[in-house]
Formats: sequence, structure tokens, C-alpha cells
Amino acid sequence: MSDFLRIQDVSVAYGDIQALWDVSLNVEEGEIVALIGPNGAGKTTLMRAVAGLNPLKSGGIHLGDKALHTLRAHQIAEQGVILVPEGRRLFGGLSVLDNLELGAYSKRARQVRAETLKLVYELFPLLADRKLQRANTMSGGQQQMLAIGRALMGVPRLLMLDEPSLGLGPLVVESIFETIKRMNDQGVTVFLVEQNAWQALELAHRAYILEQGRIAGTGLAQELLRDDRVKQAYLGISPAAEV
Amino acid sequence: MSAFMQTLVWGIFAGAIYGIAAMGLALVFGVLKILNIAHGELVMLGGYVGFWAFTALGWDPFLALILVIPATFVLGIVLDRVIYRYVVRLWGEEKIKNSLLVSFGLGLVLSNLAQWVFTGDERSVQPSYAGQGLDVYGVLMPYTRLATLGIVLVVTVALHLFLRKTYPGKAILATAEDYESAELAGINIDRVYMLTFALSAALAGIAGQFVTFTYALAPSIGMFWTLKAMIVIVLAGTGSILGALPAGLVLGVVEALSGAYLAQTYKELVGLVIFLLVVIIRPQGLFVRK
Amino acid sequence: MKTPAGGQLSLWKPSRRWSGPGLIVVVLAFAIVFPQQIAQDNIWNLFFLMSLGITMGQSWNMLGGFAGQTSLGHAGFFGIGALVTRTLWLHGTPFILALVVGGVATATFAMIIGAPTFRLRGAYFAIGTLAVAEVLRITVAQNRPFISTMPGDMIASYSLPARYWVALALAVVTTGAAYLLLRSRWSLGILGVREDEEAAQASGVHVLRHKLLALALSALFMGLAGGVFAFKQISYYPEAPFLPTFTFEAMMIAYIGGVGTVAGPVIGGAFFVFVRERLAANLTDVHQVIFGVLFILVVLIFPGGLLEIWERLRRLATRRQQGGPRASGPSPEEEGL
Repeated sequence: MSDFLRIQDVSVAYGDIQALWDVSLNVEEGEIVALIGPNGAGKTTLMRAVAGLNPLKSGGIHLGDKALHTLRAHQIAEQGVILVPEGRRLFGGLSVLDNLELGAYSKRARQVRAETLKLVYELFPLLADRKLQRANTMSGGQQQMLAIGRALMGVPRLLMLDEPSLGLGPLVVESIFETIKRMNDQGVTVFLVEQNAWQALELAHRAYILEQGRIAGTGLAQELLRDDRVKQAYLGISPAAEV
Repeated sequence: MSAFMQTLVWGIFAGAIYGIAAMGLALVFGVLKILNIAHGELVMLGGYVGFWAFTALGWDPFLALILVIPATFVLGIVLDRVIYRYVVRLWGEEKIKNSLLVSFGLGLVLSNLAQWVFTGDERSVQPSYAGQGLDVYGVLMPYTRLATLGIVLVVTVALHLFLRKTYPGKAILATAEDYESAELAGINIDRVYMLTFALSAALAGIAGQFVTFTYALAPSIGMFWTLKAMIVIVLAGTGSILGALPAGLVLGVVEALSGAYLAQTYKELVGLVIFLLVVIIRPQGLFVRK
Repeated sequence: MKTPAGGQLSLWKPSRRWSGPGLIVVVLAFAIVFPQQIAQDNIWNLFFLMSLGITMGQSWNMLGGFAGQTSLGHAGFFGIGALVTRTLWLHGTPFILALVVGGVATATFAMIIGAPTFRLRGAYFAIGTLAVAEVLRITVAQNRPFISTMPGDMIASYSLPARYWVALALAVVTTGAAYLLLRSRWSLGILGVREDEEAAQASGVHVLRHKLLALALSALFMGLAGGVFAFKQISYYPEAPFLPTFTFEAMMIAYIGGVGTVAGPVIGGAFFVFVRERLAANLTDVHQVIFGVLFILVVLIFPGGLLEIWERLRRLATRRQQGGPRASGPSPEEEGL
């Protein structure tokens, strides 16, 4: 019984340009919730707003009873809400190990840093192999794993991922989504934004659709997979044509 | 030949001070992404702390570093909290422009406050062993200058180790690379900025201390040192913090050689002209890996 | 603190009422009549300095305020104007001609270094201009180290009021030029460059040309100001007008008065010089500290300078009368664009 992540009537604007209008959604503990929608719909904006990088024009974001929208980004990370941003955004000039260790900067995570590191190495053995390698010399897939690993070092209660499959080959994407499933099995709640709607809906329990800054629909992932409109708009499946 | 070596050696000694004077500015520019025109005034104030320690307490200038470093560090914290923290949260061109303006105003305030307190007279510090030094094949190397070079090297190595090997140091590097990701990782970047600025002030203070016995100390020297530091960081490449030292040495040597073989009077010009050439032709600097 | 995403820290646009023609006439009349009435040297001097300050502020403002290119090397222009004017004049050229040549020479110089210098952006441009000015200063200091003094006959026929009239005329012309520039067909391009260079480029504005135009005018008037300085100073070191102090004064006048506006440098010039002369009489350098603090406050809190402070007070007063709901912020009425 938990009202885990609650986003209520959130509006976000960049100066005079409004990106999100009264967006409401919630994520229950232990779920995987996906946010799909076309390019430019505002998915990244919403993620960044939850993570504390974009200020809200109106509305509120709560984790349990904690008001996230009043906190600074690093404080939100301290609460266990960790975002893996779009495009990896690693500390390229630092080593893999440095990146991972920095992921555990918050007080909460620092205490268990050594154990978490072991877990991350188990999950991503190739990171263990490349401990001292500079982050920006790794391939896209490896970097994505490092980005997720770094997020895990923060001991997330809610893990947010913004376009984890962006620019990666299908095999890598498979393995990443498997990893996300595994983490969810171990109790990490996941909220992810994905261009690759098919993969996202296969993975998630529930999903929301964001179009032009507004929530356009929601439902169980399996239902949405069968929904015609969704199929047409996001899954590239055209309705049965007249032959 | 020994005249050439002597010139070279003087250039290296001068360059060491240029290097450490620039290192603080490079830190601030690399991490906070702001341009602190008042950096030279921090050098000047560090020098005055040292000067006070010498005249009031009779402390040897190198010993006085124990006083100068924390004093300028604290000053850095104060300036960050009172002024720079408001500039740092802006973005892009605006941040740079406003930091330029604000630090210019601050420089004015600091240099005139110093003038009011210390008067405009030039001061210098002469430790008792000032004239003595090593004589190596006819090349004179005063102890004071050797010690300066030594300390600069030690500080550079210490800074490198701090940034690369310690947790807070790595947090600083991470913030410099991508401050949003740093925040997402739980790093309080306000604190990082404050620490960085304080460090840069301390580095400036050390440089100022060296200035007291190698150049003249006066409230008006701020602009001179700011310009020198700017030239050095442009030569080094603005991403490079430790590149400030080799770049400083290069500048020192080039100046010394120009002074000896062209004309003393054009020594200052050389640095400025090089600066303009580098900034227009190779803006990424000489020591940044591309 | 106002920080609109992606834009200027805040640009103050004063309402029309402030710079109504009636006010201009009054101010001009005062500037013409008052010193004649008092007819004392210190007043002529004060008004001279105020006029010169206004000119310097307007000139810096054209480049730094309108085009958004922060120049830290304006003293270079001041110095060239002074050098050329002084040299010609002391060698027998009639003053006005020498002055004009000085101004033109300065603008020419600016055009020559303009294109390469404008390849630099933001901070680099600022430091680059400072470096250029310092190069000029050091070169002049090396080549002309001896003090320049007016010959005896010129001293004998020295008329301080004449100096003031020249300075006042220049201030009026410069202010007029700034006003016309804002009303010209180039103003949108220039202001666009300030707001967002890339966007301006994308919408077809020839960025470099607009920057050069602002630079040319700015340098011209700063050079003329330098020439007037050379006209007034009986003796000075040739390197003196190249000192960064003059850049900083011009910049502070523009900012404290209200950067980016036409009225700003007028207010700033009068205020700055007046306060400086008053304070310098008593406590030598405290005025610099005050200006530094004021400058910081303006940049951080009141980007519109004194003009903004004045407007806000007025708005506060009229809001009480009207009970208007409008929160304080940039005025919807805009200065003739």
C-alpha cells in the first residue's frame, strides 16, 4: 500500500515556452512504469523536473510524503530518486571506477558504497574489467551500462531512465532491458522514458502516453500493446488494410 | 652562453609564479565557468597578508604561507557566499558576461579598500638570505627563487593528487565536466563551487606571497596579475588546470628572452601579443589534448 | 533574482514619459545657462567632466549595451583619439579639424582590428580588447614617455568655458547618435545580436556587419571624447588616456545609469562624475569602493541601473493611486523600437 511517486498537475515552462501542462501520473512501489510518446512531447522535461533539474511552474511531485519539488537535485538523489539522464552524460575524463564511486556521493549511498560496488560489478562484469578505463573511451553500450551502474551506486528506491536504448544496437538494448527487469525483481521501482515503445511496453507493468506536454492516455502495458491507436502511432503497425 | 642560461633561469623562476597565479584562475574558469577579473586582487591581498606577517610578526615569507593560505582560503569562501554564488547559477553567455562585470566591480572595491588600508606605496619583503643562492657554472640561482620553484612544483603535484585521487577532488572534476550529472549523483554543487573558489583564492594567495619578494607589492598590481593569469590560461587551454604551470613557464621564458634579446621595454608586450595570437588562431591553447 | 531562461539578465526598457522632449529641453537649457550664471572654474570643470562622462558612457553603451559586446579596451579608442588630436593640434592644425581626424582615425583603427577581434566571443572578446588596449598603452608609453604640455601661447589663450561647450556639444551629438541608432533600420539587427547571436544569424542578420557598425560608432565617439580630453588637459603623459581607468569609467557610467538605454548614460554620466568629484574632494578613494559596490548591485539586482530604480519607485507610487495589479517588472511600453 503505497503512494510512491505522485506527480500532480505539473506544469513546466522554459521561460515563456510551456512544455508540460497539468501532467499527473503516479508510480507504485515495485512497478515498472513507462512513459512513451513522440519526440518533443516533453518526456525528458518531465524526468528532469522530477529529478530537480527543471523547476515547476505549478503542481507538485511527491515521493511518499516527501515533497520532491521543493528539494534541490542532489537532495532528491539523496532521497533515492536517481535519474539516468538521456545521452548517458558520464564524467568522460574520469575512470569507470571514479564514475561509479561518484554515483554514491550522497550520504545514504556512501555508507554502503563497497557492497553496492560489488553488486554493480556482478551485474555488469565488463565494468569490473574496465575499472580504470576512461569513460569516454568506451562504446555506447558500455557507457550506458556505466551510466546505469552509476545510478545504482546511489542505491535508488526509484530509478528513472531517460531513453536508455538511444543510439544502441538491438543486442545491447536487450541486455539493458534484461538488467532493468532484474533490478526491478530485486525491489527497485522503475520509471522509464523510451522512444522504443515496443520494448518499453514489453517490460513495463503500466504506461502513460505523453503527447505535446499532456497525458494522452494510460493503462496496463499489455493492454496498450494491443491498443490500435498505440499500435499505429508508436509501434509502427498499421491497421489491417483493405486488400 | 651563461648569460643565455641565466636569462632562461630567470624566465623559469618568473614563469613558476605566473603558473601558480594562473592555476587558481584556471580552476575557477574550469569548474565554475566564470571569469574572475578580481583574481589579481586576490594575489595582491595574499601578498599583503604575507607582508603583514613579515613586518608585524617577523615571519619568514615561506613560513608565512601557513598564514596566507588559510587567510585567502577563507576570503575565497566569503566572496563566494556573498557574491559569486549569485552569478554561478546563471547560464551560458550571460554567466560569463555577468561574472566578468561583477568581478570587475569587486576588483575595484578590493584594490581601493587595500589602498585605503595600506596606502598606495610599493612594498616588498626582503628576507635575510635574499641575496644568497647557488652559483652553478656562472648561473646565479637565489635561494628564494629556488624555494619558490620548489613550492610551486609541490603545490601543483598536491593539487593534481587532490583532484584526481580524493573524493571531493573528483567531485570537483565531475562538476567541471557535467554539473547536472554531478547533481544527479548527489553532489552538492554549491559546496563544490564554494570549495573550488576558496582553493583558487588560496592559490592566488600563495602567488601573492611570492610576489612580495620578487616584485613590488601595491594595491594597484591586481590588473597586472589578472592579465598575466589570463594570458597563461589561454596558452594552457581553458580546460586545463595543471597545464597552467607549463604554460606559465613558457610565458616566463619567452618574456625573459624577449627582454634580453629584443628590448626590456617590450617584455610586457610579448605576452600580450602572444595572447592575442593564440586566442585568435588556436583558441584551445597549447597544452590541451584535442 | 530575475533570470529569464536563455536571455539577458534583464533589459530595462524605460517608458516614454521619461525621455519626453520637454525634459530634454529643460536639461539642455540648464546645462547651457547654469554654468554661465555661476561662471566659476570649478563649475565649468565639473560640467565639462559630466559631459565627457556622458559621451564616454554613450559610446561604450553603443557597443556594450546595444550590441552586447562587452569591451574592456575602450581606453584604447580614447587614447588614439587623444593622441592623434593632440599631435595634430599642437602642430598647428585647427582644433576642430584635429578632433575630427582623431575620431576618424580611431574608428578606422577599430575597423581594422574589429574583424579579427570579433572572432572571439564573450569573455575572450572582453579580455582580447583589454589586451589590445594594453598593447597600445605600453607601446605609446615606450615611444612617448615624456609629458605633453601645451605651448605657452595656447595656455595664455586657454578658455575653460570653450572646452565645456565643445564637450557639451559632443555629449549632445553622441546622445543623439545613440538615439538615432536605436531608431535606425540597423537597430533590430544590433539588438538581435545582443540577445542571441545564433538566432540572429539564423534569421538572416549579418552578425559581423552589425557588430562592426556598433563598433565603428562606439570607437568614433570614444575617440572624439579622447580628443576633447586632449584639448582640455594642459599637460599629461601620452600613455595616460590609454589607462584602463577610462574604460572602466565609461562602462560604469553606462551600467549605473542604465545600460542599453539612451537616457541611461546621461543619468549615469552626471551622477557618476558628480559623486566622484564630491567624494574625491574629501576621501580620496572611497568613491571607487562605492562605485564598485554600486556596480555589482546593478549587475546583480538592478540591471537597468538608476533608470530602473527610478522607474520602479515611480511605478510604486502610481500603483498606489491606480490600485493596479501589475507586479513590478519590465514596462510594457517600449522605448521607440
